[in-house]
Amino acid sequence: MAEKKLSKKALSKSFHNWYYGNLTCFSQEHMQTFGYLCSMLPLVEELYDDEDKKAEAMDTYRAFFNTEPQLGAVVVGITAGLEEARANGNEEVDAEAINGLRAGLMGPIAGIGDSLVVGTVIPILLGIAMGMSTGGSPLGAIFYIIVWNLFAYFGMKFLYKKGYEMGTKAVEFLVGDVGVAIREAVSTLGGIVIGAVSATWISVKTSFQLVNSNGEPYMVLQEKLDSVFPGMLTALVVFFCWWLMAKKKLSPLKVMLLLVVIALLGVLVGFFDPGLKY
Amino acid sequence: MTISIFQAIILGLFASLSSMPGLGGTSIGNYTLGRPLIGGLICGLVLGDVPTGIMVGAAMQVVYIALVTPGGTVSADVRAVSYIGIPLAMLAVKSYGLDPASAKGVALATSFGTMVGTVGTVLFYGTATMNLIWQHMGWKWVDKREYKKLYLVDMVFPWISHIIFSLVPTVIMCMLGSDVVETIKKTLPMDGIPMKTLFTVGALLPCVGIAILLKQIVRSAKDFVPYLFGFALAASMGLNLVSATVVAGMFAIVIFELKMLQLKKPAVAAGGQSLDDDDEEDI
Repeated sequence: MAEKKLSKKALSKSFHNWYYGNLTCFSQEHMQTFGYLCSMLPLVEELYDDEDKKAEAMDTYRAFFNTEPQLGAVVVGITAGLEEARANGNEEVDAEAINGLRAGLMGPIAGIGDSLVVGTVIPILLGIAMGMSTGGSPLGAIFYIIVWNLFAYFGMKFLYKKGYEMGTKAVEFLVGDVGVAIREAVSTLGGIVIGAVSATWISVKTSFQLVNSNGEPYMVLQEKLDSVFPGMLTALVVFFCWWLMAKKKLSPLKVMLLLVVIALLGVLVGFFDPGLKY
Repeated sequence: MTISIFQAIILGLFASLSSMPGLGGTSIGNYTLGRPLIGGLICGLVLGDVPTGIMVGAAMQVVYIALVTPGGTVSADVRAVSYIGIPLAMLAVKSYGLDPASAKGVALATSFGTMVGTVGTVLFYGTATMNLIWQHMGWKWVDKREYKKLYLVDMVFPWISHIIFSLVPTVIMCMLGSDVVETIKKTLPMDGIPMKTLFTVGALLPCVGIAILLKQIVRSAKDFVPYLFGFALAASMGLNLVSATVVAGMFAIVIFELKMLQLKKPAVAAGGQSLDDDDEEDI
């Protein structure tokens, strides 16, 4: 019997099913499970002619799956390779082995993916895009649409291919030393860009001032703060929010509600005044 | 400015494509169309005022710059932010006669959008719960080995969930929008405490968005330095965001090279064992 080899067409269909359908039918209970089933289907149909074997293979992927979908493409690629090995009669690859691997990978990949893709790459691209949006120019939005989608599509395609070709070795690149070095560099890049985004787009200002007997202000707090570090009040509020969430473990929603209270109190005592008039 | 039923339906379709389990897929739907900056462009195109759309979208983008949904729990819903919040904020900014690029315009847009986004999480849970029906059908088909029908479950039936929980709410909210804005304007005077608070909250809220992001990067106090460095680049040195990114990129390259040198070191040490021994004897 000739060795079974997945065709390019089947692999491409499997990849595109994942690229598009990973979360289209989302529920809290099954998350990406159905997306995974859809991306394994073209492969299973090509590898097995026997209906029972087909069912055995599909049943493997009924197990719960959820990870960061962009980086998660590597896992789908790896299982494509494993399924091919199983179809060729490799005894070591069974449902248990495949699902053990999937369960073991989805946590770390989600962690890296959330901080790298959603927490760093997207904010950096959005930061640049916002810099190009001054005066309401659509240039920034168009830049983001093109750059992010090229990055996501070809990045996912690359990961899927590497997963299929190299198996678990593909993951070593992500969690290994070079991966760590890249992540550290990119997260510093992200930190700097986000600092610049904050300074450009957020403006927390106080209207607090002390007046002398002639009614002339002699201490304008906003000016004093800005002479120490421009935009200091904005940075302080960001730090305060970070401290509430990271150290006090408050949810973002609670922090937002707290800010509403602070805003109200600040307005009442005259610390904040947006200077509204008709 | 008003929104016609036709415009509202187009916005509703984009809401269906872009939400967290959206029908545009994750990359194109959620991470592209769902981002408020892109939502601003789309809303601007649909409503015929691109500059206002972009400015309102960019203002809200800061709040949701790091919208991560770990384990599928959300604190805001992108479809509601981008396709209900932005159109309503555009109406409000126009109705109050504010310049969308001004601090006040930004503050009003932000507080409007965030309010809608937070309430919008209902839509997220609604869609996700309704999808359970299709998935239940899906398991039955898997049992019967009718695998082709999995495509219906994953890519076709969720449209029904989205028509109910994305399209219809968007259309209703957009149609009611201008009336709601007018009512708020009549009942709450601009120089009153509620409006002042609303504008102040709008200026404070983006700080939460940035802080969510910093929570990912900052592990110790020293990790705050890159953030403050970037802050100083823009606030003190007056660099724009693209230039600041270039400077940041330079630092990223230096850090990467340093890390790589560090990684190579053990190999070098193993090769030059005798040299290391000499050093230790000296001490």
